[in-house]
Amino acid sequence: MPLNRHPTQWPWHGLLALILLSLAAGLWVATKRVNYEWRWERVPQYFFYQAEDAQSAPVAGTITQIRPDGARSRVDITPANGAQAVSVTVETDTLKVKVGETVTEDSDIGALRQWKIGPLTWGLWVTIWISFVSGFIGLFIGLITGLCRLSPNPTLRGLAVFYIELIRGTPLLVQIFIFYFFIGTVLNLDRIVAGIGALALFVGAYTAEIIRAGIQSIAKGQSEAARSLGMTAAQTMTHIVLPQALKRVLPPLAGQFINLIKDSSLVSVIAITDLTKSGREIITSSFATFEIWFTVALLYLVVTSLLSQLLFWLERRFARSD
Amino acid sequence: MIKVNNLVKVFSGRGKPVRAVDNVSTQVSKGEVVVIIGPSGSGKSTFLRCLNGLEAFDDGQVIIDGVDLGDSKTNINTVRREVGMVFQHFNLFPHKTVLENVTLAQRVVRRRKPAEAEDKAMALLTKVGIAEKAHEYPSRLSGGQQQRVAIARALAMDPKVMLFDEPTSALDPEMVGEVLDVMQQLAREGMTMAVVTHEMGFAREVAHRVMFMDAGKILEDAPPMVFFTAPKEPRAQTFLKQVL
Ligand SMILES: Nc1ncnc2c1ncn2[C@@H]1O[C@H](COP(=O)(O)OP(=O)(O)OP(=O)(O)O)[C@@H](O)[C@H]1O
Ligand SMILES: [Mg+2]
Repeated sequence: MPLNRHPTQWPWHGLLALILLSLAAGLWVATKRVNYEWRWERVPQYFFYQAEDAQSAPVAGTITQIRPDGARSRVDITPANGAQAVSVTVETDTLKVKVGETVTEDSDIGALRQWKIGPLTWGLWVTIWISFVSGFIGLFIGLITGLCRLSPNPTLRGLAVFYIELIRGTPLLVQIFIFYFFIGTVLNLDRIVAGIGALALFVGAYTAEIIRAGIQSIAKGQSEAARSLGMTAAQTMTHIVLPQALKRVLPPLAGQFINLIKDSSLVSVIAITDLTKSGREIITSSFATFEIWFTVALLYLVVTSLLSQLLFWLERRFARSD
Repeated sequence: MIKVNNLVKVFSGRGKPVRAVDNVSTQVSKGEVVVIIGPSGSGKSTFLRCLNGLEAFDDGQVIIDGVDLGDSKTNINTVRREVGMVFQHFNLFPHKTVLENVTLAQRVVRRRKPAEAEDKAMALLTKVGIAEKAHEYPSRLSGGQQQRVAIARALAMDPKVMLFDEPTSALDPEMVGEVLDVMQQLAREGMTMAVVTHEMGFAREVAHRVMFMDAGKILEDAPPMVFFTAPKEPRAQTFLKQVL
């Protein structure tokens, strides 16, 4: 008999599916009981919608020609004084004039339809770029602070410890308020700048601890070998210790960044229109409360899982040398 | 080449301070091969590490090729590039290929051009018999091969002195020979070497002098012929009985 028997797995997968299904059913029953009417069809318009842009006659005159141009039509208006004809393009099905008709200036000819970005897409974009910028700055702050934390100089070390403890010991929400209402007012900062600043400082403190641990995890023999070849402390750090340390801390760093994307929802309290704030605003006009919050949650989930996948791929690429 | 006067190194951690190197004075001239032996904890590693400033000593003087390490005007990095060191656990850079391990310091410390550094590296890797592994990562190499790369890495800086701290202790027995052969060849070429080792065969054949250390002091310093046949110190006699 083979030692490594594979026990049958499918009943357990079946059980998992059953549990998830009953959760969904429970949810459905629960919303039935509060008489909630689902209106999922209202959600897509908050991603993208077609806006109608009314087109009016730029001059008074007579319609001399209407030429079809795909789904649109070009309407030529010849002014009464016999000057050059002016043409206006509108969607054919919104056309409100006929050939031979006279129009006055600014009278309605039809409309042009255009796809516009909805508030959910816009909010998602704001969330992503705010997280990205503050994550990048935070990484930089973390790198510097982590190095200071390990510096032999007591002043640098003390400052690093003070900063890290200050940030880790207070709630992010309070930090955002202080940054916006106090520092933001003193330095006259834009709310976006204040939000990014607060997030960057927050993530920087955690990154510093991750980087410190990474540097300390590199065997002492590595830097001794580098120093014995005549490299300076800085060269040893940049060529030998940091590359190895960063590779090692990539998973916790990525985890920190994924947390940042979620934590960035707190900047909605200082009226930055990120994904969460967009969701709240949409609800006031759409009355599709449940749908919008579920959609918002799903969007965060998609972004964070895409990042996890990216990390997985990066880790495999970096695994080359071991 | 190496001059040591009244060197003292004290470790004062928890508990009572340890005089790891206790008032040691000695000299190694150009082209001389000195083997340092002694029981575990006798201060051999610490003594060797004082010679290239990896360990800051507390008192005394270390002079390498006329440069005083204790002088505050001395740039320790310029001394270290003249003093190669080979470690018990190789300490190769795992994120760099074998070739990069040997070229890195040449480029950032000696400021050699990439092509020049690579030529030098390939020549040295050929010399230690491992050129065909140049583009592998160290983790793919056996211990003996890694140690030979480490020797090539140190030699790439054109050192005037080479320090070896138990270079074969972490190796499987069948790989000890290949590393000792490389070291023997180096000695024959006239390299000044200080070697901490338990390989008494190497000491007998290659060393010009054998030093016996115990409790931070050099108790005996004699040519191998004399040392191995008629050690004067009782503690050296006991030690030799144990290892031979
Ligand atoms: N970093 C350190 N901190 C405190 N004590 C140390 C340190 N390094 C060495 N020592 C002590 O100094 C003494 C000499 O150590 P050293 O490593 O030089 O001995 P060694 O002769 O090389 O021994 P081995 O043959 O085991 O390598 C020992 O008592 C050791 O405990
Ligand atoms: Mg030792």
